[in-house]
Amino acid sequence: MTAKSVRQQFADTMLELGKEDPKLVVVVGDISHGILQPFAKNFPDRYFNIGICEPAMMSVVAGIAKSGLRAVGHTIAPFIIDRSFEQLKLDFCYQKVPGNVVSVGSAFDYANLGCTHHCYSDFALIKALPFATMHAPGSAVEFDSLFRSTYKDLALNVFRVPGFPHELDLDKRDIVPGKAILIAEGSDVTLISTGVQLRSAVGARELLLQKNISAEILHLPSVRPFDSDRVRSSIQKTKYVVTIEEHMRSGGLGEDVLRVAHEVGARFESVSIPDTFVTWYGTYQEHCEKFGLSAEGVTSKVADMLQR
Amino acid sequence: MAKDIAVHNSELRQRIIKTVYEGKDGHIPSALSIVDILNVLYGSFLKVSPETIKSPDRDYFILSKGHGCVAFYSVLLKYGFLKEEDLEKRFCRANAILGEHPDCLKVPGAEASTGSLGHGFPFGVGIATGLKIQKKNNRVVALLGDGECQEGTIWEAANIACNHQLKNLIAVVDWNGSAAQLQPIDDLPAKWKAFGWNVQVVDGHSDDELIAALQGAVNAPGQSPNVILARTVKGKGLPFLEGHGPWHHKIPNQEEYAMMVEILGGSK
Repeated sequence: MTAKSVRQQFADTMLELGKEDPKLVVVVGDISHGILQPFAKNFPDRYFNIGICEPAMMSVVAGIAKSGLRAVGHTIAPFIIDRSFEQLKLDFCYQKVPGNVVSVGSAFDYANLGCTHHCYSDFALIKALPFATMHAPGSAVEFDSLFRSTYKDLALNVFRVPGFPHELDLDKRDIVPGKAILIAEGSDVTLISTGVQLRSAVGARELLLQKNISAEILHLPSVRPFDSDRVRSSIQKTKYVVTIEEHMRSGGLGEDVLRVAHEVGARFESVSIPDTFVTWYGTYQEHCEKFGLSAEGVTSKVADMLQR
Repeated sequence: MAKDIAVHNSELRQRIIKTVYEGKDGHIPSALSIVDILNVLYGSFLKVSPETIKSPDRDYFILSKGHGCVAFYSVLLKYGFLKEEDLEKRFCRANAILGEHPDCLKVPGAEASTGSLGHGFPFGVGIATGLKIQKKNNRVVALLGDGECQEGTIWEAANIACNHQLKNLIAVVDWNGSAAQLQPIDDLPAKWKAFGWNVQVVDGHSDDELIAALQGAVNAPGQSPNVILARTVKGKGLPFLEGHGPWHHKIPNQEEYAMMVEILGGSK
């Protein structure tokens, strides 16, 4: 089976919500213009391909929201999260102006475009903004559920749309903003994933079973708010935890989990991207393998930690 | 002539220097540069009042050059948005509502929390876009500094506003020569014209010229946005601090304050 593209789901969700909600406005920075044509054609007054000017674009999105509409800004992750960070900080968060950011090309999804087009610090940066939420859906259904249930909130909601979704089925009813999803129960170690890396967690659980290791899997489609209660109750039980995320080790989901692990006296390991520029080219899959963001990589990390 | 203009809006000017003197902080010359513009906007142009600051039909004013806020506060006081006790010995004090840049969650009538240059104007372009989407008739006026026009986002937003035909948007630039202190090519009319805006150049201390320019913007044919380049003098009204000297962010001592009050014709 091939999973539905999350980016296509973004376009579909916009079209469906656009019909229900006359206040929904979509502003893009010359990306996804093709797949958003159904929205653009149905709602020409509420769609803008604003060009290549991301900081002003994000201020304009904030201003549209200030006028009473529900605004979405969309372009490549580094050009919103990095270049337009001050716009997110001041024009939305400081002023408590609500809005929505949908990024594509986070982490190394655009692997061979090089570091100008990478963004593996988005969790860290958005976590530094009071008033912001950070969501990392790993599949179309996660994006659709998270977006629908948050986009009207009094918050800046940031959604990281991944290029390579996991192919696992999730029950829509389990997807709640800021809540962990229990994917599988286990007793020896807790695997905590966000975004598409649920696939590595699920693959690792199978491999670990062959070693008689029972892994519990918690999946967090939202990095902010962080479901510390659910994480705590799981790692209190297992006493071992591994986080799996397409983010730099510093500032990611792992650091939040580490804080909880410290409280409950659990051992912690992180499968993530090193704190460096990834100047490597190659494919997305090759990058995942290099950094152990795979079933085998997670299995090996767990086996080392448990010394089995 | 200098004497006449010093008397112009002298009460507002006295309120500005008193606020800075008591608060021990603030930018006097920038405030004196824009105070006449603000007075015309609130007294003769903007459709907004203390009762309508949350109305969806109000006009929006954005002080994009947030460091001119002492003039803004003084004008908000004059037109009833603020109360005397908000300013009186409260500017920049702990837990006050008025700081050295306006916080729109605290200051009644402030539409944006400005201070970092290059944010307020693009935010105003967004508001104008939102109003146009909703087919509303209210307007957005943003006051920018000429120094602020060195920021890249100003021109990104100017380009957007022209391409989106935001006739409901008026930019007023406080053209007091700050920018030319750093980058001497001072051709704002040509730059704004090149970005497709209707351009008017006026004396930013003349009520008549400002009012005529605002009406000219409203009545301009076509759908282009309008910019009023208002020639102003930093520190206008207090000859000894006019221009680009050390007074940009200087706080007067008792003696200097007394001198300012005297020039402005007030009582100490």
